[in-house]
Amino acid sequence: MFKKILNLSIALAKAEFKLRNEGSYLGIFWYLLNPLLMFLILLGVFSNKLGQDIPNYPLYLLLGIILFNFFRQATTESTEIIYENRGLIKSINFPRQALISSLVLKTLFSHIFEIILFVIFLFVFNVSPYGIIFYPLILFFFCLFIYGVSLILSALTVYFIDIDNIWTFAAFLLWLGTPIFYSIENQGWLFKLNLLNPIYYFISIARDLIIYARIPEIWMISGAIFYSLLFLIVGLIIFNKLKVKFAEMI
Amino acid sequence: MKRIILENISKEFKIGFKNEQGALAKFISSFSGKEPQKIIQVLDDVSFSIEAGEIVGLIGENGSGKSTLLRIITGIYEQEKGKILTYGKIISLINLYIALKERLIMRDNIYLCCSLFGLTKPEIKQKFTSIVKFAELKDFINTKIYQFSEGMKERLAFSIAIHSNPEILLLDEVFEIGDEDFKEKSSKKIEELAKQGVAVLLVSHDLNLIKRHCNRVIWLDKGQIIKEDDCQKVIESYLQ
Repeated sequence: MFKKILNLSIALAKAEFKLRNEGSYLGIFWYLLNPLLMFLILLGVFSNKLGQDIPNYPLYLLLGIILFNFFRQATTESTEIIYENRGLIKSINFPRQALISSLVLKTLFSHIFEIILFVIFLFVFNVSPYGIIFYPLILFFFCLFIYGVSLILSALTVYFIDIDNIWTFAAFLLWLGTPIFYSIENQGWLFKLNLLNPIYYFISIARDLIIYARIPEIWMISGAIFYSLLFLIVGLIIFNKLKVKFAEMI
Repeated sequence: MKRIILENISKEFKIGFKNEQGALAKFISSFSGKEPQKIIQVLDDVSFSIEAGEIVGLIGENGSGKSTLLRIITGIYEQEKGKILTYGKIISLINLYIALKERLIMRDNIYLCCSLFGLTKPEIKQKFTSIVKFAELKDFINTKIYQFSEGMKERLAFSIAIHSNPEILLLDEVFEIGDEDFKEKSSKKIEELAKQGVAVLLVSHDLNLIKRHCNRVIWLDKGQIIKEDDCQKVIESYLQ
């Protein structure tokens, strides 16, 4: 069953990836434009203020943007994916979770281009790129976390359509609350708040390993694994419980 | 050997409807966007079975519950009451070409649709030529689907379905579009599949088509089986 879902997810992701680039002259350039523009604007605005005490601030900022972008893109699209595929859901009985895993895979494809861009920046800023070899491990657990959140959002939106709008707003708040363009060192309450924010763990671990060439603290690694498994399990439970009525609700 | 067994299947739907509302209720519903709902009985105590190699017709007026019944057999809808047992891989053609992505070329669509029907990549590779040949579309392998006529899309979807190793084939109004030659070819293919042990449930308003293929016919009306018998007897009653 797992292999069947994986094969279908890859086929759906490939199709969606092709559809996204269909007829586009600049293709993958568009994936890079959004994080790149965001990076340049935030760098221009904050590098002398919030980024002053952060070593390698441009890389710190870019990695934060890229990781959050992956999370936001996949989860935001997940709120619409069931409704967008209503014709398919009403016609063919296939594993519904393949739609969600294909969405994560499709977003992962574009994330890889962003990571390639980041590696180029590592060379530009003269930082050793060897830390990137640990990235697939972080990415694996980050994908599980995103998959879990997307399962929850996609299933709940079928029953409560308002979640679509609520999530756009919540993701924006999460973007502001996560230390992407600032540091939370010496900011007690914000640090404590971020202990409840799974994305904080993934971004911090990635920065430690790739930019600062240091081993992350064990509690950070445990936190990332804990949240990814927690959201995956909760996501699977909620999705499997609610999916039986999808075809009738859409 | 029975491939489909349905016992006392009932299904209800909640549907939205506008009723007479007071001014306050109208005001509130205009803000919330929610509308009142009522429950309708779509299927009521439906029982039948289909043997391997049998082609059974399902007839009835629009809204009689035929498509809902197919969706319940496929597992797309869940029944409120009753039991369903199916033995074999189910391939359903309910909305014939809904799975086709208009902006993708035919090759990509074949790979995608076959994956949706549970075929592995090596299996799809092996069947690819046969799918294209049956659909008579070998000159359009790299053409995007939005440039296809409705008939071409139908041929492609049908060809994909019959090549997806069905053991139970559910066909909903599949011969409404398309030329006569292809209809003839498809009819022969359905009979060939039945001879190989595939159970076929054929939904159609075309009674000649039903007469030609089916030994047994089920007449469904307002969610209930009115008659289930020999093809000729059921069609005679239905026409009266």
